[in-house]
Amino acid sequence: MSWNKIFLVAKREYWFNFKRKSFLFSAYGVPLLTLVAMFLIFQFTANRESNLDDFARIGVIDRAGIVSVLDAPGLSADSDAPEYVLISDPSLPVPDNDDPEARDAYFTALEQRAREQFDAGELDGYLVIADQYVMNGVVNLYTEGNIPAALSSDIGSFMGRQVSARAPEALEMEANLLAQPIEEVMRDIDSGDEMSEAALVGRMLLPFIFVFIYVLATSTTAQYLMNGIVEEKETRMMEILATSIRPTELLWGKMLGLAALSFTQIGIWLAAGALLVMSLEGAREFVGALGLAPLDIALVVFMFVINFLLFSATMLGIGAASTAEAESRQIAGILTFITVLPMAGVVTFFTNPDGPIPLFFTFFPFTAATGLILRFGLTTVPLWQIILSLAIQIVAVFVMMWLAAKIFRLGMLMYGKRLTPRTLWQALREGRATLTTASAPVDGAAAK
Amino acid sequence: MNTPLNGCAICVRNVTKRYGNFTAVDALSFDVEPGEIFAMLGPNGAGKTTMIRMVLDILKPDTGSIEVLGGPISDATKDRIGYLPEERGLYRDVPVIDVLTYLAQLKGVPRAEAQRRAATMLEQVGLEANIKSKVSELSKGMQQKVQTVATVLHRPSLVIIDEPFSGLDPVNTQMIKDLLYDLNRDGTTIVMSTHQMNFIEEMANRLVMIDHGHRVLYGSVQDVRDRFAEDAVVVEGTGDWAALPGVRSFDLSETGREVTLHLADGATPDSIMQSLATNSGYQVRRFELAVPSLTDIFIQVAGGNNNRNGG
Repeated sequence: MSWNKIFLVAKREYWFNFKRKSFLFSAYGVPLLTLVAMFLIFQFTANRESNLDDFARIGVIDRAGIVSVLDAPGLSADSDAPEYVLISDPSLPVPDNDDPEARDAYFTALEQRAREQFDAGELDGYLVIADQYVMNGVVNLYTEGNIPAALSSDIGSFMGRQVSARAPEALEMEANLLAQPIEEVMRDIDSGDEMSEAALVGRMLLPFIFVFIYVLATSTTAQYLMNGIVEEKETRMMEILATSIRPTELLWGKMLGLAALSFTQIGIWLAAGALLVMSLEGAREFVGALGLAPLDIALVVFMFVINFLLFSATMLGIGAASTAEAESRQIAGILTFITVLPMAGVVTFFTNPDGPIPLFFTFFPFTAATGLILRFGLTTVPLWQIILSLAIQIVAVFVMMWLAAKIFRLGMLMYGKRLTPRTLWQALREGRATLTTASAPVDGAAAK
Repeated sequence: MNTPLNGCAICVRNVTKRYGNFTAVDALSFDVEPGEIFAMLGPNGAGKTTMIRMVLDILKPDTGSIEVLGGPISDATKDRIGYLPEERGLYRDVPVIDVLTYLAQLKGVPRAEAQRRAATMLEQVGLEANIKSKVSELSKGMQQKVQTVATVLHRPSLVIIDEPFSGLDPVNTQMIKDLLYDLNRDGTTIVMSTHQMNFIEEMANRLVMIDHGHRVLYGSVQDVRDRFAEDAVVVEGTGDWAALPGVRSFDLSETGREVTLHLADGATPDSIMQSLATNSGYQVRRFELAVPSLTDIFIQVAGGNNNRNGG
């Protein structure tokens, strides 16, 4: 084999595909758009959920008779928190608790008054604390438009203050704990380190994000490989190349060039991710939770290489066996669909990551890498399963590379003629695939 | 200047190639001499392309042997061959200079040298303005010139071209012809496979005609034509052709300007010429041996074989 020629082909494939508009878009455009979209969504939702500017004054109608503290302790006057005001009407007599009808009439009148104040712009909303609040905790909020999470939280605090104020002196716990009796601290099961909510979500979501990047990068570049072969067949470049370079050299050159391209793409995305992590503390927690050891990273990189080879060899075979780009795309689409099946069946991974379906995906060659990585985030995968999955993937790579080389040699000069499985099987059985790069008459048609 | 070879540029000995039950090439033997322009002709499906692919080591023969440029074909030999297939193309979305440089580099030419040569040759074929154009932006004729340049850019010792002039207008045909003559003058052996017999008659030293995988004609172009020469002369002039001594019969051409005189037993072209010269009833403007064109020979041989094979 001439490494010089392999390097030439690899270089050509790398730069030609690097300059493709579709590559530039997927390499730079996708992460850029993702970052911009994430930023905008974050800004919009954060603002939407935390902004209390529209809720300066909230009326309170206390049917349960529980409210005793209106001011929040420790809050300054210019705080964003709303001011809670009891709705009252001095002109109405306060009814006895024993007279339900009079109570209903009284509170209905108060609600009408609150509504009038709301319509007049004096209130931004009002609460009606239900009669049975101490039993069922119901607080009705009347307002318009979006209710930010911060308002719900503030109302919760407000009610917490009312409950705390009524705690008996003898209670041997902090009164405000009555309103929120637990303070969860989540810890990593292995290290015992405290984990934030973002970190917990990150631990589950990161493998999915990684698999997504993984599949996108691999399938994009493997499709370039396939398109290149089909183009060389369609334009008849293949026949000229066949007199300059051995099929195996061409094959390896293309695979190396596109593997480098794939790494470039992932490198760009990782750089974008690192930028995000460096600039946002939340993102740092999100990523840090995965706690990847060097061995884990080596395993993931190793699986990426295997997966890329498997994908490339398969796409190469499809390209060599197809007659036109449209046809090869259809077949390649099926392969991509199979690979993303674990993503589609994500619910089964969440509900039972060690169940039969995730196990099947772990051991099926085309989904083994994605299946395994998805499970890493959700369960402790037994060592024997990792080894078996890797072994299956390695064997599959060798089988596919061998088959792809046969198909490539057999199909590379078959212009306008599909290499059918039957033809391939016949050629493999007769052992001629290694001897011939074959022109049209493999299945008996006339030679020129 | 290419190094002269002592042996043959291509030696084909008893080569057979089968695809299943179909025999594409059957016990074929021929030699291509170094420095000559050699033509390979035959009807469609005769086995020419299969034979060329075997010479180039794209296909392996089932039996027989092929030697190229002095020995069995190797990677080093391939770098000394330029090949332009009949069904040809180039990377479409790549600048002309890049395609040419890449293909020359694959043949072992250093990058800078490949770029320099490409620029020179593109100028030679009138495409200097298109050096950075993408292949897809060129006309069909322009693309064909680029393909021809790609075939010879690495200065091969042997050039194999399938249908070199198809699709070219007369000006471009002449340009490519000049290019091939220049290469040949520098010692490059040229093998062309074509259906355009006039180019073979004009350019080729020798030929092999293949039909149904068999060699049906082989030798120098002149020898082949002489072999098929009729016992007749072609005359342009006036006179009573039936009364001319030594003439068995005559055929008037469709234009009526020339006549083919078929010679009687014992008559020779010399005796006919003498009769015409001594007889004042005849006026002669042109007199030549009735040697058939290669087209006639091709039709005669290929047509005869087709009839025998029921085709």
